Amino acid sequence: METSGRARLTHAAFVLYGLLGYSFLYVPVLLLAFFSFNKSATGNLPFTGFTLHWYADLFRDYLVIDAFKNSLMVAAFTSLLATAIGTAAAFALVRAHLRFSEFLRVFFVLPMMVPGLLIGIALLVFFSSMLSLPLSLGTVTIGHVVMTTPFVVLVVASRLVDFDRRLEWAAADLGANPLATFRYVTFPLILPGILAGALFAFTLSLDEFVITLFTIGPQTTLPLYVFSQVKFGVTPKINALATLLLLGSISILLFTFYALSRLGRPGKAKPREVG
Amino acid sequence: MKATVVGAPGVGPPVGGPAPGDVVRGAEEMAGARPSRKILWGFLPISVLQVGFFLAPLVVMVLYSLWTAQGVRVIPHWTLQNYANFFTTRMYLITLLKTAAISLVVTLVALLFGYPFAYFLVRYVRKQLQVPLLMLVIIPFWTSYLLRVYAWMGILGRKGVINSLLMGLHLIKEPLSFLLYNNMSVTLVFLYLYLPFAIITLYAAIEKFDFTQMSAAADLGAPPWRAFLEIMLPQTKQGVITAFIFIFIPMLGEYIAPKLVGGTSGTMIAILIVNLFRGFQLPQGAAVALSIAVLITIVLIVFRRYLRVEELI
Repeated sequence: METSGRARLTHAAFVLYGLLGYSFLYVPVLLLAFFSFNKSATGNLPFTGFTLHWYADLFRDYLVIDAFKNSLMVAAFTSLLATAIGTAAAFALVRAHLRFSEFLRVFFVLPMMVPGLLIGIALLVFFSSMLSLPLSLGTVTIGHVVMTTPFVVLVVASRLVDFDRRLEWAAADLGANPLATFRYVTFPLILPGILAGALFAFTLSLDEFVITLFTIGPQTTLPLYVFSQVKFGVTPKINALATLLLLGSISILLFTFYALSRLGRPGKAKPREVG
Repeated sequence: MKATVVGAPGVGPPVGGPAPGDVVRGAEEMAGARPSRKILWGFLPISVLQVGFFLAPLVVMVLYSLWTAQGVRVIPHWTLQNYANFFTTRMYLITLLKTAAISLVVTLVALLFGYPFAYFLVRYVRKQLQVPLLMLVIIPFWTSYLLRVYAWMGILGRKGVINSLLMGLHLIKEPLSFLLYNNMSVTLVFLYLYLPFAIITLYAAIEKFDFTQMSAAADLGAPPWRAFLEIMLPQTKQGVITAFIFIFIPMLGEYIAPKLVGGTSGTMIAILIVNLFRGFQLPQGAAVALSIAVLITIVLIVFRRYLRVEELI
């Protein structure tokens, strides 16, 4: 059984390769989290004992709290605007059956193809030199909306393509006006898609660095704060902040995937009953 | 910038099964339903956004790149000097070439390491486990880019994990300084940042491949490498090229990683652009930035057939 022995060896080699791959992806992040609990102030080996000191430090730092508030505010407004704009566009894109909708689709996702650096500096020049608009969290939000809206368009549009429109016609036949049809049939069915789009926009905004760097005024956001500290090297306090941020994004992501997978199986999501 | 396209397992269009779209479209025609014109209003907000805050700023950039700097001000005095400078200054050209070279190397290495990994997921992981395991690949990709670069600073740095470990084991006396701030560290960190994307895209392509063809090739006497090169690789080409485009393009605009782990020798074109803008040399900065944009546009046009963004999300 020479071939079977060889097949087993290949199998083992690939499994080992897979394990190495996952280690490569996760060890750096786990180390980062690990050192946030280390007593040693170097943020590195040796591990001198467990502490939550760096986390406590974080919550006492008004700069961090301020940056956190700013980040949250920008992400919330970005998510709200991008979801509204993106959902409206997705509806038109999928349902208008235009001859040039292919062109429009490419046009609307264009900001995804352009490096954030270009969007950032273009907006900086546009706001400050052309419009003489003072940079603020508002200008940051505009930049983030430009960057995240394409994601919402794609997520919501892909859900709408799978949508069974007979449900809407059935509602209309049963006497529901367009508003009621939307409220009780369409909206509940595509809600997971919209929610996923909103959460994508929220996480992307929360983590966005380059566009923020160029469009922000005197304020700071969490990624900007991290960047300003990181330039001087690794500290356990930043490790603590990083760990919390990573946990935050991962929780939002898992929830997003959950929301999407619920609609991934057509027929499983049920419209809400009326009355 | 974060590479901006990614797949999520099990959230793509349902594979196989009835396609509701076909039925619906048929029914729509039968009912003689015409799409309402009102739906076109949905394009209004996004058009305002895209034209006002994406196209207009880019047009302003184009104008600035053709105007003249006078001190810190820009005056509408038309010139091609900024572009001429870009293509005649050695430092600019070398940085551009280096950026393209690093991007190319990272893209190829990511494909090279990603392909066997995706193959492992498709062939050696049980079907029910594939989606969760793929999710494990995707999660790091969606977390903060900056923090993933930072994680490597803690590993490769002078007082980093590798150095402390080696010194603790008395294998070295002085911390190794070649671990950080050079082309190698930049390439390694980029590989870390982009490998998940390569895996996701390649997985989608390999998963569709019909492996009975490989058995057929083996039965007909083809050695495995030949079966791979002549059957599997051509049929998974779509995924390879998609991964190539969506790694290579964002790489050209990379700022954070070269800034944090590149040092002076690992510098890239984005850092140059930022420095020009920081120094208020707006027209020159705009010209360099737009040259990158043109490069990206060329890549996109050449590979436009492979730009199936919607399949990836």
